[in-house]
Amino acid sequence: MFTRVMIASVLFAALFKGTPASAQWFKVMTPGIPRTADGKPNLSAPTPRGPDGKPSLNGIWQMNGKYLQNIAADMKPGDVPYQPWAEQLFKARQNGALGKTDPAARCIPGMPKLDALPYPFKIIETPGMVMMLFEGFTTFRQIFTDGRELPKDPNPTWFGYSVGKWEGDDWVVNTIGIRESTWLDNAGRPHSDALHLIERFQRHDFGHMDIRLTIDDPKAYTKPWTVKEDLRLIPDTELLEYVCVENEKDYGHLAGK
Amino acid sequence: MIAAVTAQAQWVHYPTAGIPRTKDGKPNLSAPVPRTKDGKPDLSGIWDVLHNRPCPPEGCADMWIPEEFLNIGFSLKGGLPYQPWAAAIVKERMAENRFTDPNAHCLPTGIVRMYTTPLYRKMIQTPGLLVILNEREAMYRQIFTDGRPLPEDPQPSWVGYSTGKWEGDTLVVQSSGFRDGLWLDANGSPLTESGKITERIRRVNFGTLEIEITVNDPKAYTSPWTVKLTQLLKADTDLLDYYCIENEKDGPHLVAK
Repeated sequence: MFTRVMIASVLFAALFKGTPASAQWFKVMTPGIPRTADGKPNLSAPTPRGPDGKPSLNGIWQMNGKYLQNIAADMKPGDVPYQPWAEQLFKARQNGALGKTDPAARCIPGMPKLDALPYPFKIIETPGMVMMLFEGFTTFRQIFTDGRELPKDPNPTWFGYSVGKWEGDDWVVNTIGIRESTWLDNAGRPHSDALHLIERFQRHDFGHMDIRLTIDDPKAYTKPWTVKEDLRLIPDTELLEYVCVENEKDYGHLAGK
Repeated sequence: MIAAVTAQAQWVHYPTAGIPRTKDGKPNLSAPVPRTKDGKPDLSGIWDVLHNRPCPPEGCADMWIPEEFLNIGFSLKGGLPYQPWAAAIVKERMAENRFTDPNAHCLPTGIVRMYTTPLYRKMIQTPGLLVILNEREAMYRQIFTDGRPLPEDPQPSWVGYSTGKWEGDTLVVQSSGFRDGLWLDANGSPLTESGKITERIRRVNFGTLEIEITVNDPKAYTSPWTVKLTQLLKADTDLLDYYCIENEKDGPHLVAK
């Protein structure tokens, strides 16, 4: 729990508004969690599976916070295949310059930053749709799993339009229609209106999951590139409320117009 | 009252699965209540307000508010049973042109105003949890139906903490743990942090939901009061994202009369 506060205050100081209030964490025994003899959650127990034999992704998860700051944190310098304009814009955004142009600075993180917030989020699988409820910004994503196709020309939204399907034990989510003004990370990597995100959710055991995120955006990057973001399960708690707009004082201090 | 105008939107058209239809393919909204496997009514669906407020001669506004948006006690003879200070503050807020309304500053609406805001909400009933996804600010609310008790002293929040249980075909939801300063309507009817809210949610037929809301807040009201709100199903569509804060220009112009 200390980690949650620490990550929040360190990582969000630069770009994200709204200080998380000192919080009384919820203690709720999450049902169905395998436990060791002393009652502690056994997070290395096997991946739980649904009636269809596929891994169940349900639970409250928390992302490794470094990917919000730098989505390419695990890549070598020079490995991000920028188009020239995209690299130029990325450089222009360095060190908080142009901070005001990040929609997250106005309390709208959008995709793909939403996945990378260092606050917990809850996955709820329902027939035909999977919800992600985010503690950060108290917002949500809907991922349709009823077999529908991606729309041809969706109205661009902050989260885009997402459909998910199983490929073996990987749950693969395709998303298009993301507003082009969102940033890929706090470092300022841009994308275009052609962005197609492919998230591959891979639950390795009870307590650990990766999202392999592919950024397929030929207008901004010369070829698709993939990062692996790691998540851990947060047992026996509940989401808290996070209201970015409340008593927001940072925006006026950010650089840019 | 609602700052920022809805962007010109390309509505999402997708046939909702499981909707009974008439011969001509139109949704049959007077069909019987759908039920989940356990025989309980299924509250799932996308819901809109009942538009009970006449439009002006020049036509309905883009945001066509119901009467209860302005005055949650609209249907009560004699109005709400305000304590003297509450009556005074409502008068003051209306005289001030409601410029301190949290809603006008893009803050969360709270659970009562969610039902009177003329934007859609989607209910998703899952075992142990009813989720309400709101278009407004793309926020969500969780109602726990897994038998857990309300927390004794929760961290006060805009949305409170909600648990529900079935009484026959009615889902009875108890909520408490609200932060001080919530408004229940645009006139500024207050809810204090000692307020408790009971919702009795009943699906009358396929297309109609009735929500009886009882507010028990002796600090602000001389007696508990109950109002009934009607919600209508919106078929074959889905939520868009609506951000009050996006390109918000009204705040600085909000002033007292």
